[in-house]
Parts: sequence; C-alpha cells; structure tokens
Amino acid sequence: MKLFKQRIKPYLLLLPSVTAAIVFVGWGTAAALLESLQDWETGEWTVVYYHELFTNPVFWDSLFLSFSTALLSTAVSVVLGLVVTRYLYHYFRKNRWKLLVWLPMLVPHLVAAYLVLLFFSDSGLLSSLLYRFGWIQEMSEYPFSVQNRQGTGIILTYIWKEVPFVILMLLPVYYQLNSNYEAVIRTLGGGSWEVFKTAEFPALAPVLTETGIILFSFTIAAFEVPYILGVTYPKMLPLLSYQWYFENDWSSRPAAMAVMMVTTFLTLLLAFLAFGLSQRRRNQMSRGK
Amino acid sequence: MFKNPWKKCGIGLVGIFLVAIFAGCTNSESGQTDEHSENSASSEALLEQPWEKTEAAAENSQVNLYMWGGDEGVNRYIDNWVAPRLKENYDITLKRYPMDITEVLQKLQTEKRANKETGVMDIIWINGENFKNAKENGLLWNSFSDKLPNFKKFIGQDRADLQTDFGTPVEGMEAPWGKVQYVFFYDAAHIKKPPQNFIELAQWVKENPGKFTYPEVQDFTGSGFMKHLLYDKMGRDVLENELYREELTNEHGDAVWQYLNDIQPYLWKNGENYPASLTELDRLYSQGEVWMTMGYNEARAERLIEDGTFPETTKSFIMEPGSIGNYHFLSIPFNSPNKAGAMVAINELLSPEAQLEKMQPSVWGENTPLSLEKLSEADQEKFKNIERGDSVLPSEQLEAAYLNEMDPAYTEWLKENWMSEVVQTTH
Amino acid sequence: MKSFIRRTMKITVLTLIVVGLLAPFLILGMSSFAHEWRWPQLLPASFSLRAWTVVFQDSQLWEALFVTAVIGMLVIVLNFLLGLPAGRALAYEEFKGKSLIETLLLLPILVPSLAIGMGLLFTAIRLGMADHWIGVVLIHLVPTLPYTIRILRAGYENIGWKYEEAARNLGASPFTVFKTVTFPLLFPSIRAVAALSFVISISQYVLTALIGGGQVITLAMIYYPYVSGADRPVTAAFSLLFIVLTIALLLMFESLFLRSRKKV
Repeated sequence: MKLFKQRIKPYLLLLPSVTAAIVFVGWGTAAALLESLQDWETGEWTVVYYHELFTNPVFWDSLFLSFSTALLSTAVSVVLGLVVTRYLYHYFRKNRWKLLVWLPMLVPHLVAAYLVLLFFSDSGLLSSLLYRFGWIQEMSEYPFSVQNRQGTGIILTYIWKEVPFVILMLLPVYYQLNSNYEAVIRTLGGGSWEVFKTAEFPALAPVLTETGIILFSFTIAAFEVPYILGVTYPKMLPLLSYQWYFENDWSSRPAAMAVMMVTTFLTLLLAFLAFGLSQRRRNQMSRGK
Repeated sequence: MFKNPWKKCGIGLVGIFLVAIFAGCTNSESGQTDEHSENSASSEALLEQPWEKTEAAAENSQVNLYMWGGDEGVNRYIDNWVAPRLKENYDITLKRYPMDITEVLQKLQTEKRANKETGVMDIIWINGENFKNAKENGLLWNSFSDKLPNFKKFIGQDRADLQTDFGTPVEGMEAPWGKVQYVFFYDAAHIKKPPQNFIELAQWVKENPGKFTYPEVQDFTGSGFMKHLLYDKMGRDVLENELYREELTNEHGDAVWQYLNDIQPYLWKNGENYPASLTELDRLYSQGEVWMTMGYNEARAERLIEDGTFPETTKSFIMEPGSIGNYHFLSIPFNSPNKAGAMVAINELLSPEAQLEKMQPSVWGENTPLSLEKLSEADQEKFKNIERGDSVLPSEQLEAAYLNEMDPAYTEWLKENWMSEVVQTTH
Repeated sequence: MKSFIRRTMKITVLTLIVVGLLAPFLILGMSSFAHEWRWPQLLPASFSLRAWTVVFQDSQLWEALFVTAVIGMLVIVLNFLLGLPAGRALAYEEFKGKSLIETLLLLPILVPSLAIGMGLLFTAIRLGMADHWIGVVLIHLVPTLPYTIRILRAGYENIGWKYEEAARNLGASPFTVFKTVTFPLLFPSIRAVAALSFVISISQYVLTALIGGGQVITLAMIYYPYVSGADRPVTAAFSLLFIVLTIALLLMFESLFLRSRKKV
C-alpha cells in the first residue's frame, strides 16, 4: 500500500497542472484546427484554406520575416546572455546587480517596444544626439532606422527584454559548476575556450536549448511588439492572422486560424528537433563515459 | 487522511476550479435566460410605447458604450461630461469601453454564431463599410432613430444627406452623431503654400523627399486619402451618387496605382513602410518626421496644438476636386441587454447642449448633424458663435468643396489591390 | 597590464549595462512631464503636468488599476497552486513518463497563445466565461504556467530534499516544514514566479481583449490605443504606471516575506 502511494504520488502532484495544460492547449488548438479545416459558410471539410495559404506570396513573406526575426533575436539574446553571465556572474551574486538585470523583466513588452521607438526612431533621442554631435544635418540622414522590413526594431526590443531572461536561466548553472574542473583543465594547459568547451558547455547545453526554444516560440507568436514596430509589408505572422481574423466578414477567419496552425506546427517541429538533438548528445556523452 | 499537504492543495485546487467554472456557467446561464425572456418581450414594445415609458424603463440602469479609445479628448467628453449628465437627468450609468469597431463587429458576429442572445454592448460607434457589414449580417437591432425625440425635433427623417451612409440605406438602424470633412494639415513653418491639387502634391512630395506619407489602406484615413484620388481620376459624377461599377475601376485603376507608385519612392522611409493608423501618422507629424497629416474632422488639430502635440504653426488645406465629408453614427447591437437605456442615452447625445459641447475646439471640435434651422434662436446663435480656431478652414470653403462618400465597394476594391499594386512592388 | 585592460573592459561593460538598463526609465519620466519635446531637442523645451492629469482623470484608470492588480494576483495564486506541487514532483521524483509530462507542461508556450485564445473563444462564450474576469484569469495561466513550473522546479532542485527530511525527522508537521523550511529557502524562486507571472499577466493585450471581450478593462486595454499615438507624454505616463504597479507588487511581496520571517 505504501509502495503504491509512493508510486502514484508524483502523478497526483502533477495532475492539476497537466490537466490545465492539456485542457487549454488541447482544446484551444483542436478548436482552431477544426475551424481552419471547415468552410466558413457551410461547415464542410476542406483544405482549401491551407492551399490558398501556401500559394499566397503574402504568407510566405510573412513566414520568412517571422522566422528570421525570431531566429535572430533568439540567437543574439542567448549568445549575449551567455557571454555576460560567463564573465560577470560573480557580480550577480550581489543583490543590487541582480536587481538591475531584473529591471527589463519588469517592463511589459508593449512598453519595451515603445521605448525602442522613443530611442531609435528617425526622430528619436539617438537621432537628436547625432544631430548635436554634427554627424547628421537632417532627420532623413539618420542611419539607424529600426522600423524596417528586416524587423530590426522588433529584434532590438526582444534582445533588451530577453537577455536578462537568459542570464537568470544560466546563473544557477554557473553557481553549481564545479570549479575543480576548471582548475584541472588549466593545470593540464587548457585555455579559457578549453575550459568553456569541456567543463561548462555540457552543463549549459540543456538549459541553453530550453531557453532558446522558449524564446523562439514566444517571439514567433507574439503580437504586441510587431504591432508597434512592424511595417506595412510583410507583416509578422501573428499580425497577419489577427488582421484576417478581424476582417469585416467571417470569410478570412479560417485562413487566420490556418496561419496560426502553421506557426504551431513549425515551433513544435523545431522544439522536438532541438530537444531530440540535445537528448541524443547527452546519451552519447554518458555512454562515452 | 490528508497527511501530505500537497495532496490537500491538489484536491483543493481541483475543487476551486470546478466551483469557479460552475459558478461562471450557472451565473451567466441563469442571467441569460431571465434577461432573455424579458428582453425579447420588451424590445418590440420599446418601439411602440410612448417615450416616457422608455425613459422610465431606462432609469437606474447601466448602458455600455463601446468605442475606439485612442483620443483622450473624446474619452474625456464621454466620461466627464456626458456620463455625469446622464446620471443626473436619467439615473443612467454610462460606461465606456475602449475597443476598435472591427473588434466590436467580430465579437458580435462570434456571439451571433454562439447564439448569445444577451450580449454586453448597448451602444456602438459606427459608419461606412462597418455599418454595411453589420447591417447585412444582422448584427444591429432595429430601426429606432425616429423614435428619439431629439432626432425627430432637430434632424428629421427626411434629411436628404442622411438617407444613406456611404451608399447603404440607413433606415433608422443608426442615429447620426457627428459630421466631419476630410482635410489635410500642414506645418506652415516649412510649407509656405500648400498644394492645390494632386499634381501639385506629387510635385511637392518629390521636392521634399521623406516628408509626406499616408496611412495604409486598412486604416480609415488611409482609404480616405485614396478615395480622394479616385475622385480626381474618375470624376465626381460617376462616384458621388452611383453604385460601384467594375468597368470604372478597370478603366481608371491603373491611373490610380500609377500615381501612388510614382510618389512612393519619395515618401517617408522611401515608401517601404506606411503608418498603420492615423495616430501613427500624427505621431510622425508631431515629431517633424513628416510635414503633413490629414484626416476626417476639419477641426481636430485645435486641441492637439493646444496640448503641444502638434506645432503651433499647424494649418489646414483642401485640394481639388474637393473634400469628402461624412456622418458617423451610433447604433444598438442585436443583443444589447439594455435597449431602452441605449435609446435614452443616444437621444441625450443628440441634444443641442451635448452637441454644442462636443463642437468646442478644446473638446472634440467636430461639426453637428443637427439641422441648425430647427434649433431655437438662442441655440442657433450659440452654434454660430463657436470659435473653431485658426487651423480650421472657413465653413463656406468647406461646404463648397463637400463631396459625398462613394459606394463602399470602392473601398473594398482599394483594400484588395493596394497591397499588391503599390506596396509589394517595391521589393 | 593584461589585467588592467581586463578590468577597464569589465568596467566599461558594466557601465554600459547600467546605462542601458536605467536610462529608459529616466527618459520615460522626463517624457511624461514634457510639454513640447521635438527633434532635435535633447531635453524637453518646457514641462507640464498635463499628461499625469489626463491619466489620473481618466475615470476608468482606478478601476483598471484595481482589475489589473486583482487579475494579476489571482494569476499568481493559481500559478502557485498548480506550480508548487508540479515543480516539487519534477525535482524530487523519478517516475515513468516524466519526459512526456515535461513536454506537455511546456506546450502552453510552444503553441502560440493567439491560436489558443482564438480557439477557446467560442467555448468560452458557450460556458459563459467570456466577458468575465474568470475567463481572463484562466486564459492568463497559459502564457505563465510553464515559466512558473520551470522556475520552481529549479528552486526545489537547488535546495534539495535533505533539509525537509531533517525537519520532518525532528517531528515537524508537513505544514510547519513548508512554512519554516521550504518557503524561506524557496523564496527567491517564489519571488521570481510572482514577478514574472504578474508582468506577463498585466501586459497581455490580445488574450485579454479576446476573452475579456472589452468588458474586462485592464491597464493594457487602455494603454494599447495610445501607444502608437502622437501623445507622447500620456503614453510615457501610462508606461510608467505599468512599471510602478509591478514594483509595488514586488515590494508588497517582499514585506510579506520579511514579516513572516520575523514571526518565526
């Protein structure tokens, strides 16, 4: 009896959260999927909305923009966060530094996007500063436009918001790293890179993968930042979906759902690939030992 | 039994969930059925019964007004002037909810599909293609405007300019709230003589690269700009009072796109990006990124100048072939839970006092749909004496240039093609 | 010499970080009091209180602040109720299907919340949870719960189960163990969860607008139409309100913690 209780305990503890995840995500996705597969007037089954989507250049341009924006901002955030954590983690033991890094996390994405506008738009503070320094004579000469078709402003916002997140994810790993490893490698004549590669990276890899996936899936699907910093064409996928969803009649709604379904499929695929890879790596390493 | 506190937590949690969901369901269901039976029984009667009865029914009730919330002056007018007045005179609590009209309509449509007979919105702010869409999809309640005393007294059913809204017959399904005309605004510190027509505008744009743009077609103001271009290319006769004709867009469409493509490289950001909304264009103008802005409501710059948002040197102008004007309306959704309250509130918004206050440049500044000659002499005097401000063109000039809205099908045509004909071509 | 270069580099980087993190708040503050602030002025030409008057005269502001805070706090509470047991189980227990469950729990952030919101809207209307704060609280669980579980799990892993065991061996009841041992040790993670779920909750626009149907007016609902607008001072004032609200909540949390510690 006691054994049975022991065995069932973790499931009981996890039941509420797993139920919530399944009910919300399962139900929501299923409903959205159904709507994307049914004719909006007759309710008949059809894949015509997907067909239209895949033959629509507007969709492909949006997909490309979303994908590259999400990938770039995730990669830069992870690398920057890693570098900052690695070289400065001693400082973060002190509370005031930690608090400082927390600051951007306390700022909602909407506000962060507005801040980027305030600083980097053509009439922003940086532009005024350059004018004062005499580097530009007119607003139109300002070289760092952020609201463009490459999504620079969007990427910048996410980096400002997400680097602290990466740092906070990595800090515990660094605190737990065994410094003896480093000493051993150094005695054997290994440089910093060697230390990082053999002592730190294996411990960091799973966290980095997870962080990267979280950031990527958030960035590709979030609405608020591209709403403020996006351009007329191409629009990020969530904006495209939102626009179709709210178009005057109901006819574009299945297409809006289809856009979201494709995004879902992509992120899930990527997540499984990344997790699978990191799992295999780990297995190989443990076997190697 | 509960040795482990976590288990307690887990069970308690599931309990809370169930209770919450259950409470949510029963709550709304019981509310729904009660109100529903009452609702459908009384809603027909509302249109038959004398006005006093409607007023009595509205007493001590709440009216939910859904409208776009991005203008601080408009919000303040509703919250600080209209709402207290309704409370005092009719014991009605007016509550304003900020929401875009497209989201409002989508919500109504979803509710209609889900058979939600008792909704949450009592009054919505609407016109043009949104009205057409709402009317065609049965999202509006009924013909009610000629039951409102102030409508009967100061506007009347026979006003020629209020028979249609962008070509869609109004049929009393909405009541006019304001009247605006489309004008352009410019900074006189940079521009000595504003352009008189589209040819001069193109010249000016080319001489001042980066200093002009217009909102994208999804935005009301953006499509408004393009509709003026349609008037210029297709002529007044075929657009003003006639239905959409495909051969017209086939014949003149290229000229429209050619004009927009021609100026595109000289627009703000070389035309790679257009403001998503009028407020965004206003922001660019207020920062001096561009030197012109535009929009419906000939008087809207006044308050923005006063607040320091627009430069003090802001003036307005109109171009050939004229300035499109329209009315915007208030309507009642099919599933409004408080139609009597909605009618009383709308009636109050059409009173000369409320309209007078709204027309003050520091409040909202837009024109009134009331027929001035039907007002009392004293009220007429008050309306005539409003100082609309230096940035507003003389009313004779505005009236002379007045153009009616065209069939919304033209806007649809613009929306369908602008992106591919103009924006995507810059790749 | 090398160490000197290193140190200067470190100091430069640290200064950059401080500026990059603090400057935005200063600018927002200044902008909210600016009367006219146009390119290429580095400082506002003149100052006024107009923006703050506008913000605080907005008749919906106080209600919105209240609604936002209550929804945010309920979201925090629900997150703890769901996340504490889950984090604990994942940290301390080994069981069949663990990796599957881990993946399932990550799903709410892998699937776009817009898709979930759009998909659930119809059901929410049917259930009477649309247009109601209950629905909004529940939907805000979607983008917050995975973070919560992730953070709490790391927290539990960090403290290990030995302290709890020691306390239990000394005869403490499970509740006392949680209150006197686990909670204080876990507090950094708990604080992180509270802050993160609160920030995520208060900044949701789309989900709140969809499920709340405009009836549930949070700060984001009021802020959103202004943010692309021309009225910079008002937008700046609203932006600061967001941040102040979060900081106020965190301070409240901190003081609760200190007080509970004193009692022990």
